[in-house]
Amino acid sequence: MGPWGFVFLAYGIVWTVILLYLLNLKRRIRRAEVELVRLRSAEDLERDAKA
Amino acid sequence: MEPGKQRKGYLGGLALIAILTGLYWGLVQAPPDAYQGEVQRIMYLHIPSILTAYLSFFLVFVGSCLYLWKREKRDDNLAYAAAEIGVLFTALTIAEGSIWGKPTWGVWWTWDARLTLTAVLLLIFVGYLMLRSLLEEENRAATSGAVLGIIGFLDIPLIHMSVYWWRTLHQPPSILRPDKAPWENIHPAMLIALTINFVAFMLLYFYLLSLRFRLGELHDEIKTRRMSGGR
Repeated sequence: MGPWGFVFLAYGIVWTVILLYLLNLKRRIRRAEVELVRLRSAEDLERDAKA
Repeated sequence: MEPGKQRKGYLGGLALIAILTGLYWGLVQAPPDAYQGEVQRIMYLHIPSILTAYLSFFLVFVGSCLYLWKREKRDDNLAYAAAEIGVLFTALTIAEGSIWGKPTWGVWWTWDARLTLTAVLLLIFVGYLMLRSLLEEENRAATSGAVLGIIGFLDIPLIHMSVYWWRTLHQPPSILRPDKAPWENIHPAMLIALTINFVAFMLLYFYLLSLRFRLGELHDEIKTRRMSGGR
């Protein structure tokens, strides 16, 4: 591998890994938000049923 | 849109602009190094990566100390979020260094003091993340994590001083030296490339940290609601 090969390998790995981490983080947040909405609506239903 | 989400959006946008500018300066504008040639361009990632990791573990240290002192969940969330991102940047630093080392030193890895201590730092914080995910009782996980986070941070001064204390293959600092100003040690275009990439990594870091911190808050609210609702 030539010098530019090593440079592109390093840049490629770094930015791919960071992008994958960012996408994974956003997916985890979305999943948690959906779960929270589900819990909140279940609580509302329970409160309405009691009322 | 919520103000918090809008602020994160601006931060992400700024980080993206800085990253693209950093790529242009690192790969196009900066000249090749007189001795290392084009491979030296990896340093525009390597130095900002390790400084970002150091900052992250410093925040783990601060968050852990504050948690042990005040027992506030917010401080533990900060430490946990910073540890996860610190692991990411430490792993990237080791990978970049390895790719730079092969054409420069002739080996992908050597048991040099600085490299070994950086690998130890990575292992400590991978252990921290494993500990946090394995312990189910929340206060115990946070307390054990805080103790390990403080101990782990103490490896950073050792990493920094290792190039002075032992005869290592890894060179001592070549830009921030006590005898000369930074601009006297490096070509101006190289210094600009390094500075832009450093700013880009900082912006990216705080963007990732804000997202990871938000995830911690969401998990806390889910746990609280599940416990109060018995779900």
